[in-house]
Amino acid sequence: MLTYDRYVVASSLAEVFDILDAHPASRILAGATDILPWARYGRAGDVHLASVIDISKVPEFKYIRQSGDDLSFGAMTTIADFQNNPVLREHAPVLAQCAVWFADDQIREQATVGGNVVNASPAGDSQPALLALNASVKLIRRENGSLQERSIPLADFIQGPGKTAMLPKELVLGFECDSMRACGSAYEKVGHRRSLVISTVCLAVIAKASSDKKKLADVRIGIGAVGPVPKRLVDLEKALIGKEITGELVHQIAEQASEFVNSRSRHEYRREVLVNFVERGIISAINQSGITVVRFGEEQICD
Amino acid sequence: MTKLHSSISDKKIGEHPLVEITATVNGRLVSRSVPNHYRLIDFVREELHLTGNKEGCGAGECGTCSMFVDGVLVKSCLMPVQKIMNATVETVDDLDLDAGRTVIQQAFHKCGSSQCGYCIPGMVMAATSLLRKMPNPDREQIKEGLGGNICRCTGYQKIIDAVEMARDVINIKIPDSSLNEDLLEPVMGARTPRLDAPGKVTGSVKYAADMVLPNMLHMSVLRSPHAYAKIISIDASEALAIPGVEVVLTSADVPGIDNFGVFIEDQPIMARDYVRYTGEAVAAVAAQTADLAIAATKLIKVQYEVLEGVFDPHLAIKDGAPQLHDFAKNNITKHTKIRKGDVEEGFKQADLIVEETYQTAKIEHAYLEPEAGLAYVESDGCVTVHSPSQNITHHRHALAKILGRPINKVRMIMSTVGGGFGGKEDMIYQGMLALAAIKSRRPVRYVFTREESFIASAKRHPFSIQYKMGLKKNGKIMATKMVMISDGGAYAMSTPGVMNKSAILGPGPYQLENVWVDAIGVYTNNTPSGAMRAFGAFQSEFATEAHLDLCAEKLKMDPIQLRMVNLMRDGATTHTRQKIDRVLAVDCLNAVVDLAGWDQGVPNRHGSDKESRKDIGQSGIRQSCTLGTHLKQGEKV
Repeated sequence: MLTYDRYVVASSLAEVFDILDAHPASRILAGATDILPWARYGRAGDVHLASVIDISKVPEFKYIRQSGDDLSFGAMTTIADFQNNPVLREHAPVLAQCAVWFADDQIREQATVGGNVVNASPAGDSQPALLALNASVKLIRRENGSLQERSIPLADFIQGPGKTAMLPKELVLGFECDSMRACGSAYEKVGHRRSLVISTVCLAVIAKASSDKKKLADVRIGIGAVGPVPKRLVDLEKALIGKEITGELVHQIAEQASEFVNSRSRHEYRREVLVNFVERGIISAINQSGITVVRFGEEQICD
Repeated sequence: MTKLHSSISDKKIGEHPLVEITATVNGRLVSRSVPNHYRLIDFVREELHLTGNKEGCGAGECGTCSMFVDGVLVKSCLMPVQKIMNATVETVDDLDLDAGRTVIQQAFHKCGSSQCGYCIPGMVMAATSLLRKMPNPDREQIKEGLGGNICRCTGYQKIIDAVEMARDVINIKIPDSSLNEDLLEPVMGARTPRLDAPGKVTGSVKYAADMVLPNMLHMSVLRSPHAYAKIISIDASEALAIPGVEVVLTSADVPGIDNFGVFIEDQPIMARDYVRYTGEAVAAVAAQTADLAIAATKLIKVQYEVLEGVFDPHLAIKDGAPQLHDFAKNNITKHTKIRKGDVEEGFKQADLIVEETYQTAKIEHAYLEPEAGLAYVESDGCVTVHSPSQNITHHRHALAKILGRPINKVRMIMSTVGGGFGGKEDMIYQGMLALAAIKSRRPVRYVFTREESFIASAKRHPFSIQYKMGLKKNGKIMATKMVMISDGGAYAMSTPGVMNKSAILGPGPYQLENVWVDAIGVYTNNTPSGAMRAFGAFQSEFATEAHLDLCAEKLKMDPIQLRMVNLMRDGATTHTRQKIDRVLAVDCLNAVVDLAGWDQGVPNRHGSDKESRKDIGQSGIRQSCTLGTHLKQGEKV
């Protein structure tokens, strides 16, 4: 059971910092979908917190903006927003693809992207998709009465299971990433069942075709749940960009993904799944981007 | 006992700061002061006493607590109550807006989509949410929409059928009359209405955890952190000193003969002198609020002398292993033997001997309703316990002896069972409730958390089965030998019955002349094993059927053919020498073969150059599970 001396639903960013100044160890709570199951027998057990700040009603954390190639959204953006917000769907469709695999549709309404990233679970579902979007984490803190913002690439922000680069009394304000409009994308996940499951392997791919639709101008591959932190497969991406794309090339490159499995358990299974996910994800994203390519070993269906 | 005031500062133990919550719940404005740690589910169930939505897991996994907040379906166990301030909440209790059951609820009734009923309020809410957002979902989208809700006994097919029916009625594709109950003639093949379904689809039926009585106390139980230990002392003085804590119970408070068990009476209602498994009840507190009871439980000081336990039944039966119960030599709870014919002679006559060891796992029933109960004493001194017990008559007799009362002063009432599967056959908490009601002279309620249900309730027996079978080339079984060792855990519970059933049914419905079966149930310091669907037959028959497939492979024979050779026929004598006049096993298997479109062949031909099997997915065959829908192009979910 989670208990607290104080639970404040903050109404502004200033109020959040006021409480943080008075109670520096305050726990920030957004959707609460992770913290309540955590404070139970078998995990953290009964937890008593002196101070909790619920930031779900703070308007500063709730925004979705797009201008040119830049897309940004607030920490309180829910996973349901990934699916339903027209701007996100147009400029970052990989987030909607990720969202359908995330928990279930009830939890998606409450769970926030800020919470998912700050919890820094090795199996956090949003992280591979955010990595593929080149997301940076926008952090904010108040020092001597003035607000200080800084940005860190997501890959640097997540330092290990449950560990982030966030300073004491610092908050995730939101995320800044690339608009990937008119690109192809794919998200893959497997766990013990379809809904409400912790990923055993998850993957996001975004692909952008060259203007002649023969080569890849850009490709990003993010993986999760196969090691302590989510990763971009930069070497594999480089090996694909600018090349004439064939099913065979994708197959060969996907094989290399197996070396990135660095989890504590189920290596063999994860390697097999990851390699196939990378191949299937790339093929799917490429086909959406406008390049037609058939997966190696599969026949092209002609009608 | 003296009250301890010195250690209690201004903050009182078991009391939490209050928060004033104002919200519109089911169309009515409510304003209540509740403990600030309450979640939405606590507010609705414990404060407003709207008990239609249930708490199944407390961790967002099961969906029994799903309700609407400002029109959005949420898991109310994952929502701090502060989040509903000035919001609109809809629970299942008033989903019909007092206008009778909704179309969805009627469709759930019509399709027989409620068995134990515990998941159904959540399922109805999820279906309502889905059809509000997406009026015309296909079957895959319905699965997706119900993805956050678990059912353990109705089965998803009927639930999905109900959502499809509701969808079609709402979209005027089928007439409203489709929701009417079928006439009862003929009964066979008709969708017979379940009399209890209306209460289950609306959430109005009361399970034990939904019941309240005036002046009711709440119980919390201290459980052992050790698998095996001697209890040196229990000091409850600090717990008793808290105002509002009415009773603290230990085994010393039991007035009668403190032993229960369906077959062997070896279990005290709370640990007596020894704890024999992690999670065994050691002491129980009844207090004015659940918060107080939980806080007081933590103040009970138990001194243990930790002992070396035994956790593997194969080691537990060896000489020199820790002896868990005085009466059970080598920790053997029950040894069931079947001897028919001469197996050694049978093996000699066989052309092929196949040996293998099979293991099955310990399994939790995971009924959606965690254990709960409510006890009180009637004015005539009759102690009454409501609980979802699957064995009330036995419990009544056991309790009378434990409480030292005549049987007519003990009453067990079976509350609606939110799934049992055998797991609610053992009387693991009713004794504490009855005793607390007697001691406090007040009604006492106890509701397990999901985690408590996992650690304290019995599990399916894990088996280790050494199999030896001798067969002729034509497939005739000449001898079957099964030596089964099963972990019965710390107390006998249903172990003797499970051993009998596993032995009797294990060799299968086959005409066998030479049979040797040993089924040995063993005490260990693991969680007790108990009844679970099929009562041991599941484990032993799994081994037999797996073994026959293995034999078919070695004989290069079709597995169905091998079974046909050996199945009992009319006039057969079973391994326990029961003569059976009429045996329909062959007819049964023939019917299954026809329906399944069975494709004959040796089991191991997959991957060979032979053509692959075609017996999957024919008409009339239920489709396998699917992963649900992906995001469709341009689709708004």
